[in-house]
Amino acid sequence: MMHYFTDPLLRAPTIASMLICLTTALIGVLVFLRKESLLGESLSHATYPGVGLGLLFSSLFISSESSFMSVFVLLFAGVTSLFALFCIRVLQKRLRVPADASLGLVLALFFGIGVTIASRMQFTHTTLYRQGQLYLYGQTATMTDEHILIYAVLLLVVALTVFLFYKELLTLTMDPQFADTIGMKTSLLNGIVAFLTVGAIIIGIRSVGVVLVSAMLIAPAASARALTQSFKQMLLIASLLGALAALIGTILSLELSYTLYALFPEEKPSIPAGPMIVLVSGGISLLCFAFSPTTGLVTRAIRSFKFRTKRREENCLKAIWKKGGTVKTSDLIDFGTHRQIFRVMRLLKREGWVKPLGHGEYKLTSDGTKRAKHIVRLHRLWELYLVEYLGIGKERVHCSAAEIEHILTPDVERQLNTLLHNPKLDPHHQPIPSGDLL
Amino acid sequence: MTSYYNPYTNLNFIEVIGLFFKRLFTGSLTLESLASDEIQLLVLIFISASAAMVGTFLYLRKEVMLANAFSHTILIGIVGVYLFAGEEVMQTGLLPVRSMFVASVFTGVGTAFLVELLARYVRLQEDASIGLVFTTLFAAGVILLTLLTKNTHIGTAIVMGNVDGLQLSDLKLAFWIFILNLVLITLFFKEFKITTFDPAFASILGFSTLFYNYLMMTEVSITAVGAFRAVGVLMVIALIVGPPFIARLFVDRLKPLLLLSVGIGLLASLSGVALSRHLLTTLGTPYSTGGLVVTLIALFSLLSALFAPKRGLLRRHSS
Repeated sequence: MMHYFTDPLLRAPTIASMLICLTTALIGVLVFLRKESLLGESLSHATYPGVGLGLLFSSLFISSESSFMSVFVLLFAGVTSLFALFCIRVLQKRLRVPADASLGLVLALFFGIGVTIASRMQFTHTTLYRQGQLYLYGQTATMTDEHILIYAVLLLVVALTVFLFYKELLTLTMDPQFADTIGMKTSLLNGIVAFLTVGAIIIGIRSVGVVLVSAMLIAPAASARALTQSFKQMLLIASLLGALAALIGTILSLELSYTLYALFPEEKPSIPAGPMIVLVSGGISLLCFAFSPTTGLVTRAIRSFKFRTKRREENCLKAIWKKGGTVKTSDLIDFGTHRQIFRVMRLLKREGWVKPLGHGEYKLTSDGTKRAKHIVRLHRLWELYLVEYLGIGKERVHCSAAEIEHILTPDVERQLNTLLHNPKLDPHHQPIPSGDLL
Repeated sequence: MTSYYNPYTNLNFIEVIGLFFKRLFTGSLTLESLASDEIQLLVLIFISASAAMVGTFLYLRKEVMLANAFSHTILIGIVGVYLFAGEEVMQTGLLPVRSMFVASVFTGVGTAFLVELLARYVRLQEDASIGLVFTTLFAAGVILLTLLTKNTHIGTAIVMGNVDGLQLSDLKLAFWIFILNLVLITLFFKEFKITTFDPAFASILGFSTLFYNYLMMTEVSITAVGAFRAVGVLMVIALIVGPPFIARLFVDRLKPLLLLSVGIGLLASLSGVALSRHLLTTLGTPYSTGGLVVTLIALFSLLSALFAPKRGLLRRHSS
C-alpha cells in the first residue's frame, strides 16, 4: 500500500484527494452544525457552469495541458457558487420563497445552464469538454504533483481561517443569538463561513465531483457527531475520516478500474473516483452510527441486552433466596424461557453464586446468598424511601422498586441508608438486610 | 420505425413551431411518422406537464428537496431493473416500462423510509439525513451501473439526460406517466388541496395525510423516472420547481397556479426544442435540448422575479 504514497504517478491522486477531502470534511462540520447540509448540495451543483466558463476562459491564454488551468476553474466555480448563494438569499428574503424551493430552484437552474454550456463545448472544444466532465464525478487519476501543491495551499488557507476564528465560529455555530448579543460581527462571520463553504466545495469538486461533493460535507461530519460531543474533537475526527475515505476510495477506484480494464480492454471502463469516495464515506458513517460508544445502534442493543441479562440474573437469585436457597429450574419459569433460564444459571454458576445439584436443581452458595440479600435490600430501601419521602401508598411501590433495584449504585444506596437512618424494616414490615454484605 | 427523413432539418425557431402545429392539426402526426424532434418535443411536453402538476403541490408542501433526493435514488432502482432484466436490456439500453414503474415506487418509498430511519434511530438531523442517504445511494448506483454496463459515460448521461437518444418507447412511458398524474390529481384534487394547506384540518375530517403524502411521493418518484432519460436526474428538479415558482409570482389561487405552471412547463419545452433546432440550423452547433429547456426556465424565472407586477423585485413599493 505504501506505493500509493511513493510512486510518482500514484502519489498525486492519493495525496491530493486526501488533502481535498480533509478540507471539505473540516468545513462540513460547520455546515452540518448550522443545519445547512442541503445548502452545500445547491452550491456544489451551481459550480458546474463555472467549471465550463473557467475552462473556456483559461483556454484563451494558457495551453490546455497546464495544471494551472484548474486554478481558473476553481476561481470561476467559486464565483458562480457565490452568485448562487446570493440568488438563494434573494429568493428567500426578498421573494419569500420557501427555503427548500429556493435551494432546489437554484440547484437545478444553475446546473441546467452548466449542461447547456458543456453541450456547446462538446463540439467546439472537445478536449476542454472532456476536462470539464472530469469535474462531474471527480477524476483523480490525472492529477500531478502540482495539484498537491495547489490543494495543500488551499487547505492551509482554510485551516488557518478556522484556527484564527475558532472561538467566534464556535459561538456563532452553537448560539448565534448569544454571538449577536455580545457584539460579535455576525454578518462578517457569516460571510466568512459562506466563503469557507464555497471554498470547501470548489476544492472538493476536483476529487469528489460536482454531483457528490455535498456528501463529503455531510458524511464525515455526521460520523464525527456520532462519536463525540465536543466541537474541537468533531473538527479533528471529521477531517481524519474525510482523509481516510479519500484514501480508501481513491485506491479502490484505481484498483477496480485496472481490474475492469484488464477484463474488458476494448470498452475502456473506469470507475470514477468521486462515487467511490462517497460510498466509502457513507460506509464509514454507517459503521459510526452502528458502533459509536455512546449512541451506536449496535452498542445500544448490546448494552440493553447486557442489562436484561443482569436483571434476569438478579431476579433469579432473589427468587432462589426466597424459596429457601434450593430450586429447580422449572420453578423459575416466570423469569424467561427455558433456554434463557439455562443460560442465566450457567452465568450464575460461573460467578460462583449457585451450585448445581444435578437433575436441574441448584443451590445458592454463601456468596450468592449475600448477593441476593443485597438486591432485596435495595428493593426494600427504595420502597421505604417512596413511602416515607414521596408519600406514595405502600401498596403501589413494589413495581417501581422491582425496576430500580437493578439500577441503584452503591453510592445511592449509601445515601438512601443515611437519609432513612439505617432502617431495619420496609413499609410491608419485612426486614431490610444489613448493608455490609458485599 | 421512423424514416430517416426529418422534416425539421434546416428550419429556424418560428418555422419549427409552425410546422409542428401544422402537422399536429392536419393529423399527420401518427406514431409511425414521428420525426425525432417531435418525439423529443412530445416527451418533454408530457414530462414537463407531469412535473409541473406534481411540482405545484410539492412547492406548496415545502418538500422540493425530497424530490431532489428521489431523483437521485431512482438510480438504484434502475440498477435493480438492469440486474433483473437481463442481457437484452443491457445491450439495447432500453428499460421495460413496467419494471421501471415498480422500481420507482420501491425506491421512492425506500428513500423516504431510510431518511426516517436515520432521523429517528440515529437521531440525525433531517437535512443531513436526506443528504447522506441520497448521495450515498447515488454513488452506489453510479458505481454499480458502470460495473454492469461497462460504460464509462453512463454517469454523464444520468445527470445530463440525452434527448437525442429518446425513442418511441420513451414517448409511451412519458405519456402513461402524464395520464397517471393527470388522473390522480383530478381525482384527488380536493384531498391533495386540503392535506397540503391544512393537514390538521384534513385529518380531523378523516383524510389520511400519510396516505396522500405517500401517494404524492410515489407520483414524484414515477415522474422522476420518466424524466431520467430525457433530462437527467438533476434537471427534472428544474421542471418540478421552476414553473410553480414562476406561476406563484403571478397568481394566488391553486387552480390558476396549477394551470399556469403546466402552461409554463409546456412553453419551456416547446421553445426549448425549437431553440435547439434553431441553433443547430443557424450556428451548426448541437446544444443539449434538456439544458436549453432549463436555461429557458432560468430566463423566465429571472424575468418574472424582476418584473412580476405584485411580487417582483422591481415593483413599485406602493403595495
